[in-house]
Amino acid sequence: MKNIIKLISVSLISLLVTFSSANASSGVFKLSHDLGFGKDTNLDAITKGRLFQVVIMTQNRLVRKNLDGVTSPELATDWSGNSDATEWTFNLRKGVKFHDGSDFDAEDVKYSLMRVKDPDIGSPAKKSMSSVTDIEVVDSHTVKMKLNTSFADFPLLLTDYRLRMIPSGSGDTIGQTGIGTGPFIVEKFDAEGTTILKANPDYWEGAPGLAEVHVIAIPDGEARVQALLTGQIDMNRYVPFAQKKIFDGNSKFKTTVVPTGNWRGMVMRTDTAPFDNPKVRKAVRMAVDRQELVDLVMGGAATVSCDTPVAPSDQYRLDMDCSQDINGAKKLLSEAGYPNGIEMTIHVSTKEPTWPTIAEVMQQQLAKAGIKADIQMTPSKSYWKETWMKKAVAMTRWNERPADSILHEAYHSGAKWNESFYKSASFDKNLADARGELDFGKRKKAYQNAQKTLWEEAGTMIPYHVSKLVVTSSRVKNLDEVEVFSVRWHKVQVD
Amino acid sequence: MEINKVSDFKKKSIFFKVSEVLVTMASKPSGFIGLSILVFHILLAFLSPYLAPYDFKAIDPTLMLQAPSSEYWFGTDSLGRDVFTRTIMGGRTALTITFFGSLIALLWGGLLGIFCGLVGGKIDDVVMRVVDAFLSIPWILAMLLIVSLLGTSTEVLIPALGFFYGKGIVRVARAATHDVIAKDFIVSARARGHSNLSIIWNEIIPNVRDAILVEGAMRWSWMLLGFSSLSFLGFGVSPPTPDWGLMISNARGLMSFAYWAVIAPIVGLSSLIIGINLTADAFAKALGIDRSTKAPV
Repeated sequence: MKNIIKLISVSLISLLVTFSSANASSGVFKLSHDLGFGKDTNLDAITKGRLFQVVIMTQNRLVRKNLDGVTSPELATDWSGNSDATEWTFNLRKGVKFHDGSDFDAEDVKYSLMRVKDPDIGSPAKKSMSSVTDIEVVDSHTVKMKLNTSFADFPLLLTDYRLRMIPSGSGDTIGQTGIGTGPFIVEKFDAEGTTILKANPDYWEGAPGLAEVHVIAIPDGEARVQALLTGQIDMNRYVPFAQKKIFDGNSKFKTTVVPTGNWRGMVMRTDTAPFDNPKVRKAVRMAVDRQELVDLVMGGAATVSCDTPVAPSDQYRLDMDCSQDINGAKKLLSEAGYPNGIEMTIHVSTKEPTWPTIAEVMQQQLAKAGIKADIQMTPSKSYWKETWMKKAVAMTRWNERPADSILHEAYHSGAKWNESFYKSASFDKNLADARGELDFGKRKKAYQNAQKTLWEEAGTMIPYHVSKLVVTSSRVKNLDEVEVFSVRWHKVQVD
Repeated sequence: MEINKVSDFKKKSIFFKVSEVLVTMASKPSGFIGLSILVFHILLAFLSPYLAPYDFKAIDPTLMLQAPSSEYWFGTDSLGRDVFTRTIMGGRTALTITFFGSLIALLWGGLLGIFCGLVGGKIDDVVMRVVDAFLSIPWILAMLLIVSLLGTSTEVLIPALGFFYGKGIVRVARAATHDVIAKDFIVSARARGHSNLSIIWNEIIPNVRDAILVEGAMRWSWMLLGFSSLSFLGFGVSPPTPDWGLMISNARGLMSFAYWAVIAPIVGLSSLIIGINLTADAFAKALGIDRSTKAPV
């Protein structure tokens, strides 16, 4: 009898252990980043050197996009605007704690968002917050944001991947600690080596499925693919489509094609001859065969863009026809005083594995219009610091942002990351008009006018928005098939 | 009349010497194979633009990654370009740049080494320590620095490669000079009051020439490998010029399913390096030089 009781109790205990461990966080998920900002890499989401692969897992926004791309609650539970959309009230989620144990409240929201506007920090996200004049703490879990203009789409701006909530007053240390309310806690931050995150058991959406996340610095694109092949990392969101065949039909990997608003482009500095002439810039853009680039570089998995940075799925996107026009390009070049064409050097690096190929294909396309393009490789480790926004012609890549954000950030006269040094009063005015316009139809028209201006005179040639090939090892489960900033990381599991 | 005869005889003797060396080299199987490969590559470099069946830079989305066929012997690459065309043209730039690079390396490395060996003393000490310091710098880092600052044009690459590969020759030339300066004819030349320049030109160079030439031939194959490494990293030849290193780099990610795009340039590069090595080996043996000591045997 004693033995039977013993047996039953042992079985019960082991059953209990099995059930409890099934719910606990387990396994290590490994991913990589390209160490794009070298020693400046940090965990402060609003700075230039932000390591977004980490902050998206450790910190939350007020508002996020759900899996269908619609603005939905994150740390704010609901919101409403006043009649002319100049004041927005956000109710905050209660009972949420930061990794340091402190409560998340309205003061933290005010602090986190107002510091984006701090000129000393010089945040590249500053433009997203430029319309906010003040944030009023109504009570411990309600804030009222006051804008200097009507802005019907204001909550959409707050889905910006950098507008993360951090504890009030933590600005000096956040770059190293990465403290937030997210599903993972920074255990060890090593930008140039392996950064280790551990599960936050008290996460407000439930305990994460993973015990640890390792974020490993691998600067070279090709090396990241090799790292995935050899099992050193579990996920690579930058696999070139040309390499899809390596993973197709291999049971160790899972491939997913995700359409995105991420784009690749070539920047011509508008303050540098001969690109200071808008006709030259337009001629270069007209000489490019975008569909051929999509086919050759992306294996067809991209959406042609006529130099608009606005995502294909965005409601404000301007779609137009921009087929290659060699004669038109030649004509513009002659009008600009270059009847015999121009010479240019395109600076590339392997930071983005497709850059050299894009340049190589463009080289042949541009030659037809008398534009002689040389390709100059530059070191990938220092690309953003030494090449981008320094050389007259260089490749670029941007992640998806809402229409208003990307148009402001990459083209507004006062934007920090105005990579082509583009200055246009009419473009700036269109953006300002759009923000102040409550009528959707008129607002859309203003945003589209701004995009038309870009087609006429911008310095950035944007051939396409990429569809992303996401390759994970097959042991990864429950990874949402959406762009990286909408993934619900606490759901991810590994076998 | 007499003088003319003498000079005729001299010319012939040089011609005879060269052909004698070539015949000796080709008489051994390894030398014959090496020479054949080298001659084949040099001929290919000259003739490939006329032999190429397709335009080396013509891209075509409809022809991406075609397997080898009767139409495209070596298949096509990820941009739909003919791999056979690009492979036979892929050695031209590398061969040209490294050939002239080796000449520069031979010239400055050889002359500086001989000079240091002859004068000795403090000048020798200082120069050799500077050379040692440069030898301790990994050449690829220094080359990357130079090409990122100055670009990858031929005018930059040839002198830069010539400089970095000449450092080793300084040591060899100096050691070879040390072997001859103690000999009686140098002592007598000094006693006759000949200048250093005259001693170098008339007495030393004829005696160390063979050792330096053999070293130069070896440097050529190393430089070829080094240059291809630079191209592989994207810092050598600029697209669309076909180049083996660049082709390997572009196609390496596709190796598991489009092996043809990567195998052809690998065979091209490795066969040329083997060819030069075998030739240099045979050259050394034909001149009676033991390559392990770089000294006449």
